[in-house]
Amino acid sequence: MSDPLSKAATVAEIARAVAGGKVKAAAVVDAALKRIEVAEPTVNAFTDIVAERAKKRAAEIDAGKVKGPLAGVPFAVKNLFDIEGLPTRAGSKINLDGPKAARDGALVRKLEEAGAILIGGLNMGEYAYDFTGENVHYGPSRNPHDPTRMTGGSSGGSGAAVGAGEVPLALGSDTNGSIRVPSSLCGLFGLKPTYGRLSRAGSFPFVDAFDHLGPLARSAEDLALSFDAMQGWDPEDPVCTDRDIEPTVPTLHEGIDGLRIAIAGDYFAKGGEPECFEAVATVAKALGATRTIVLPNAAAARSAAYVITAMEGGQLHLTRLKTRPQDFDPDTRERLMAGALLPGSWYVKAQRFRRQYRAEVLKLFEEADIVLAPATPCSAPKLGQVMMTLGGVELPVRANLGLFTQPISFIGLPVVAVPTRRAGAMPIGVQVIARPYNEAAALRVAAFLEKQGVCVSTPA
Amino acid sequence: MPDDNKPDIARWVDEGAKAIGLPIAPEFRANVILNVERSLAIVEPLLALELEDELTPLPVYRP
Repeated sequence: MSDPLSKAATVAEIARAVAGGKVKAAAVVDAALKRIEVAEPTVNAFTDIVAERAKKRAAEIDAGKVKGPLAGVPFAVKNLFDIEGLPTRAGSKINLDGPKAARDGALVRKLEEAGAILIGGLNMGEYAYDFTGENVHYGPSRNPHDPTRMTGGSSGGSGAAVGAGEVPLALGSDTNGSIRVPSSLCGLFGLKPTYGRLSRAGSFPFVDAFDHLGPLARSAEDLALSFDAMQGWDPEDPVCTDRDIEPTVPTLHEGIDGLRIAIAGDYFAKGGEPECFEAVATVAKALGATRTIVLPNAAAARSAAYVITAMEGGQLHLTRLKTRPQDFDPDTRERLMAGALLPGSWYVKAQRFRRQYRAEVLKLFEEADIVLAPATPCSAPKLGQVMMTLGGVELPVRANLGLFTQPISFIGLPVVAVPTRRAGAMPIGVQVIARPYNEAAALRVAAFLEKQGVCVSTPA
Repeated sequence: MPDDNKPDIARWVDEGAKAIGLPIAPEFRANVILNVERSLAIVEPLLALELEDELTPLPVYRP
């Protein structure tokens, strides 16, 4: 049990301490603000801090006006989430000239209804078209475990803030891997829920076909607590599911009995550095998983995800690319411009293929409940690094950190990224993938691995 | 000898940008061309697939 005022305190520990009257929410918020002040010069996670709002909220909680399972828990959000009264940056300079948000994004409201306290907005790759966490306008978020290295992106500030222990919980978005990549590189637990499970209302979009929102934290229980608080249909997001809420906390500690766990082979067993496959092997061993299954055409799935992303992104930003090209991050601008010029036949083929791939992969889930795969092909690259060697091939860092995450989000499967770390090495994550709407199974596996001491997240 | 099957990506970028009214400043052009080249390489596994005629996109996508 950590001191609820320390950087090691988890969501669950803080919530229990506040609910039990052992600590005031005001003290929790003050401690978080102090940690942020100390860590920011190193990690550059925050772009906006709403200290006065947070203190006011804490006072309401301490006065007994707000109760809930997350009462007193500080959190922060990637700055593509609307925060009332602030422009929604989405990592850009351009959006600062846009309107200030009239109200908080849907998930911010849900967490606050559960008693959590928003501390601020977090750095991110421009318009979420990023796997590095670098940003020319606001500076890179830096990896808390080695500030000369990337956090991964595009939810880089989310990875840095939780990895540094500034806050125990952050929200990110994941279109092609933007929760799972920083979770892997910063040594965190991250949940990319099923596509459509959590409302995206009040967040700046990137690729409608793949955009997901979800939490990053330092324990499986913290993911489950926050995920459960955020579930529920929202008519303001047209893809948000109208399924009943399916709480994951009650089954979290049921262990792995009855779960059929397989390892993704072929595409997911090559093209990375040895450390990523060692991480999968470590997790598989702890789970007693020996069976390998092949997700057919995973390379084509990655291609199709890339094409849909480039083309939807290029189209979304076309007017801004025409009128304000100089105000983009150069690393984003020219990729978006290229995306706007790709042939429509590629897009349609990618969408047609998605139907086939979805059917083939869902068939596999008749034989397995969980599939394991690397989260990233390597641990954190150096900041500013442009090229990297994967499996002996020289490849661009930006396009390839999401090599293993893209074929999964392409069809909206729920994934928990779990952290592994060898002594003296940087962290690296493993994807625990489940069938649609079975976040509970992936979280159970994550909780089991945590209990076994195989996957542990410690703040830097 | 030039390969007739290899697309002229510089021309693709210049003419495509003209067609959609996207001005590309000279200092951005080389990197746009590079990114289209990278896209061509990445899309290969998708383009190599043959899909059945009956395979239509999912009009309302449900995972």
